[in-house]
Amino acid sequence: MPKDRSEVLQGTLDLMILKTLDALGPLHGYGIARRIEQLSEEMLRLNEGTVYASLLRLAQKGWIRSEWGASENKRKARYYSITRTGRKQLAREAESWQRMADVIGRVLRQEKA
Amino acid sequence: MLREWASRIAASLSRRRLDAEFDEEVREHLDLLAQRFIAQGMPAAEADYAARRQFGGVTQMKEHVRERRALPPLDVLVQDVRHALRQLRKSAGFTASAVLTLALGIGATTAIFAILNAVVLRPLPFPQPERLMAVRSIHRRAQQPTELSYPNFFDFRDRNHVFERLAAYRDQQFALTDSLPPIQVPGEIVSWDLFQLLGVPPEVGGGFQPDDEKPGANAVMLSDELWRSRFNGDPQIVRRRVHINGKLFRVAGVAPPGFHYPVEDAAVQLWITLAEDAGPSEATPMTEQRGARVLESIGRLKPGVTPRQAQAELDQIAGALAEQYPDENKNVATTLVQPELERLTGNSRKGFWILLGAVGLVLLIACANVANLLLARGTGRAREFALRTALGASRGALVRQLLAESTILGLLGAVGGVLLSAGSLKLLVPLAGDNLPIPRFAEAGIDLRVLLFSIGTALATVVLCSLAPAAQVIRADAAGFLKNSAGNIAQGQHRLRSALVVGQLSLGLVLLVGAELLMGSFVHLLHRDPGFRAANLLTFAIGLSDTRYDRGGQIAFSDRLLETLRAIPGVQSAAIGMPLPLEGDEMTVSFDIEERPAPPSERPHSDMAIVTPGYFTTMGIPLRRGRDFTERDDAHANRVLIVNEAFARKFFPGEDVIGKRMQPGATNGKEGVQSREIVGVVGNALQVAFAADPQPIYYFPYKQLSWGIGTIVLHTGTAPLALEPAARAVLMSLDREAPMYLVRTGEQRASASVSLPRFLTVAMSGFAAIALLLTMVGLYGVLSYAVARRRREIGVRIALGARRGDVLGHVLRDALRLVVIGLALGMAGAAGVGHLLGSMLFGVRPGDPLLLASAGLLLVLTSLAAAYLPASRAASVDPMQVLRSE
Repeated sequence: MPKDRSEVLQGTLDLMILKTLDALGPLHGYGIARRIEQLSEEMLRLNEGTVYASLLRLAQKGWIRSEWGASENKRKARYYSITRTGRKQLAREAESWQRMADVIGRVLRQEKA
Repeated sequence: MLREWASRIAASLSRRRLDAEFDEEVREHLDLLAQRFIAQGMPAAEADYAARRQFGGVTQMKEHVRERRALPPLDVLVQDVRHALRQLRKSAGFTASAVLTLALGIGATTAIFAILNAVVLRPLPFPQPERLMAVRSIHRRAQQPTELSYPNFFDFRDRNHVFERLAAYRDQQFALTDSLPPIQVPGEIVSWDLFQLLGVPPEVGGGFQPDDEKPGANAVMLSDELWRSRFNGDPQIVRRRVHINGKLFRVAGVAPPGFHYPVEDAAVQLWITLAEDAGPSEATPMTEQRGARVLESIGRLKPGVTPRQAQAELDQIAGALAEQYPDENKNVATTLVQPELERLTGNSRKGFWILLGAVGLVLLIACANVANLLLARGTGRAREFALRTALGASRGALVRQLLAESTILGLLGAVGGVLLSAGSLKLLVPLAGDNLPIPRFAEAGIDLRVLLFSIGTALATVVLCSLAPAAQVIRADAAGFLKNSAGNIAQGQHRLRSALVVGQLSLGLVLLVGAELLMGSFVHLLHRDPGFRAANLLTFAIGLSDTRYDRGGQIAFSDRLLETLRAIPGVQSAAIGMPLPLEGDEMTVSFDIEERPAPPSERPHSDMAIVTPGYFTTMGIPLRRGRDFTERDDAHANRVLIVNEAFARKFFPGEDVIGKRMQPGATNGKEGVQSREIVGVVGNALQVAFAADPQPIYYFPYKQLSWGIGTIVLHTGTAPLALEPAARAVLMSLDREAPMYLVRTGEQRASASVSLPRFLTVAMSGFAAIALLLTMVGLYGVLSYAVARRRREIGVRIALGARRGDVLGHVLRDALRLVVIGLALGMAGAAGVGHLLGSMLFGVRPGDPLLLASAGLLLVLTSLAAAYLPASRAASVDPMQVLRSE
C-alpha cells in the first residue's frame, strides 16, 4: 500500500514529520498525524498508518530517535524526537524544497509570449 | 548506510519484542483516534471502524514495518537459531554428550596446535624475520652442518654481497663477581652488530660500536632481567663498569625486555663482543684459528635476495677458501643457508606435525561419534520432520535447521575445547617445558591464530558431522516417513552408522599402533644401558675466573677441590669430566694414527673428552683393558690416552689398541701436536641419547690437556641432592667468588635426555586412550540401538525357542564383524604410521607383527567389553512382554 504512493509523497511526508518534530518537540505517532492534519487544513488526506513507515525510515537513517513515555490515556506510547543529524538533514531538505518550489512557481507564473 | 544496517541487524535479533511493541503502538493510535471520533459524537461501534479506515490497512502496515525494519535472511537465520536452541534444550542429554565429545576432540586439537604454533609456526620476534638466515658450513665427510671458524666467518662477512649484515655468536658461561654471592650466567660472544642485524635497538644505552670488536675493548650488553635483578635497573648503568670473569667491562647497553638471543636459549643474560676471543691468550687467539669451528652465524638478506642466491655466493667463497687453506678448509668447501626459523625448529618440527596429525584422527573419531548421535536423533525425529514437510517446510529449510543445530553444537564444542586446551596448556606446559629441549615450547598458549584455528576446526567438524544426517533428510520423502514409520530409513541408517564405527575402529587402530611404537621405543630408550651408573651421582659446574687462575692455578685448584669433596661424609669418589655422557657430541677433534699417517683433511675424527683420574670409577664406566689415568699422568709424564671400545673397534679393527700411538689435533696451544700412547680401553658410555650405535670417544687426562675446568661428578653413598649444601660449602671455603651452577643428579641428566620422546609418548598414548574410549562409546551406541530396534524380532526368536546364549553370541558376532572390518582397513594406516614415525623410533620395528597383533587384540577385547552390555540386554529380552506391547 505505501509503495503505491509516489516517491514525492514519501519524501514530502518525511520532511513534514521532521519539521513537525523540530517545531513541537517529542510526539507520538498519533500526535504527528494530528498535527499534519491540522496544518494541511484537511487538504492532505492521508492514511495515518503511512506515518509509521516514514518514522521507521527516519529512525533507520538516524534522523529521529524514540523513547517510551505515557500517552494522554496514561498508557505506554512511543515518543519520537529529532536528532542533531536530523536537524541538519531538515535544513538541507527544506532549502532544496524551497528552491524547487521557487522554480516551479516561476515556471507556472510565466506569461504567454 | 552503515547505521541503517546496524539498526536492521539489531532489529532481527529482537524481532519478537519489536513486533509486540509495534502492535501496542498501533493499538494505542487506533484507540486515540476512536476516542476522538466518539468525542465528535460518533457512536462507539462506528468509531472503531472509522479509526481503522483512517489509519489504512493495519495488517499490511504491520507487515510492511516488520519487513523493512529487519533483514529478512537474517530474520530467518535468527529464527532457525532460536528453533535449534529450543530443540537442543529439549534433549539435554544428547546435547551434553555431543558437546562434550566435540570439546574433547577440539580441545586436544587446539592444545597441540597451540604448541605447534608457538614452536614452529610463529615467526621470529624480530622485524622482517623472513630475511634472517642461519649460515653454516657443510662438513664434506660427515655430510652434516657444522659451525664456522672465526677466520672463515670474517671472510664470509667481508666478501659476500648478499647479506645486509652477517653476525657470529657462540655461547659461554660468565661469572658475575660484583657482589656476593657470585652468580654464573649463560651469555654469548657475538659480533658487534648482532643487535642492528636483528633490528632490536637497546632499551638503555647506545649498544655496541664497531670498535668494540677490537681486542681489549671489553664491552657488554645486559639482558633486561639481569639489569633489573642484579643492578636494580640503574638508569646510569651505561656509566658503570661491571666485573665479568674477573675483568672489568663497560656496559654498552641493556636489551629490551623479552629479548632472547639465540631464541632457543631464554636463559642468556649478557652479550659481549668477539673481542673476548681475540684477546691475548696463551696460544693463538681463537679469532685466528681457521680450524677452530665454534661459531653459529646469522645473516640478514638484502631485500630481494633469495636464500638460494645467498647460498650460491657463500659456496663460491667457501670453495675459494678451501683452495687457499686446504688443510683447514678442504672439508668445509660448501655451506648451508637456511631460514633461521627452520634451524631453530628443525628437530621438533616433525614430531609436532605428527602429533597434530594424530590428534586430527582423534577429532575424526569424535566427529563420527557426534554424527552417530545426530543420526540416532534423526531417526527419533523422523516424525517431526515428516510432519513439517507435510506442512510445507522445504527440504532446504529442514537441512538448514539441522545445520543450525550442528553449528550451535560446534560452537559450544569450540568454547569447551578452547577452555579445555587453555587449562591443559596452563597445567602441562610448565611441567614439560622445563625439561623439554624445545625452543619456545614454554610460550605455548592461546592466541588469535590458535583461536581462529579452533573455531575453524569446530565449523569444519560440524559440517562433517552433519553430512550424514543431512543426506538422510534430503533422500527421504515425506510420504515415506509417514508410511513406513521410519522402518526403511532406520535400515539404511543402521548401515551408515555401522560404517562410521568401522571407520572409528580403523582410525583407532592407527593411533593405537602409533602409541605402541612410541611407547616401545621409549621403554627401549629407558632400559638401554647408558654405559654409566646414573644412580647416586651428583654433578655440578663451577665458574672459575680465567684472570685469577692460569692453567697451573686451575689444576691446583681442582686438585684441592676434589680432595676436599672426597672428605665429605657420604662422598665415595669425586672426579671431573668435560663433557659428561649424554651431553651430546660437544667436542669432535681429528687425529692422526701414527701407523697410517694422512694429510690433515683426510684424518679420522671422533668425539673426545677430558677427565681426571678416578672419573671412570666415579661414573661407573668399566675399565675393560689396560689402566686408568693416575695422578702421575701430568704435564711431565708420557702423553697418554684412553679410548672406548667403539673407538678401538672403529679405528683399530681386529688389533690390540693398547700401546698404539696417535697425534690428536687437540693441544694445549704453544706445545703443538704431540704423540700420545693409548694405555686403556673403557666401556661405551652414550654420548648422545638417541644414537643407534655407541659412538667412539677418546679421553685425555686433565693434567695433560687443560681447557678449563669441566663438570664435577660425585659418587655418593646416599641421596645425591642431600650432599649439595656440603659441596656448596666446600666450594665457598676454597673460593668465595666461584659460583656453583647446573646442579643435577645423574638420573636427572638421564631423564632429561629422553624428555622429547617421553613427551611424544605421553601425548600419543593419551590420544590413543581417548580414541579408544570414543570408539567404544560409538560401538556401544550402535549396538544398543540395533538391539533396541530388533527387540521384537529377538523376542519372537526367544519365544520360538532360541537360547539366550545364541542371542548373546549373535550380537557379539555382529560386533566382531565390525571390528574385523575396521582392523583390516586400519592395518594399512598402521603400516603408514610406522613408516612416518620411522626415524623417531629406537629398538622397535614399525612392521613388527607382534606389535600389530597386540594392538588388534586390545581393540577386539575392548570392543567385546563394549558390546557385552547391549548383547546381554538382548539376551534378557522377555518375549511375553515384547509380544504384549505390540
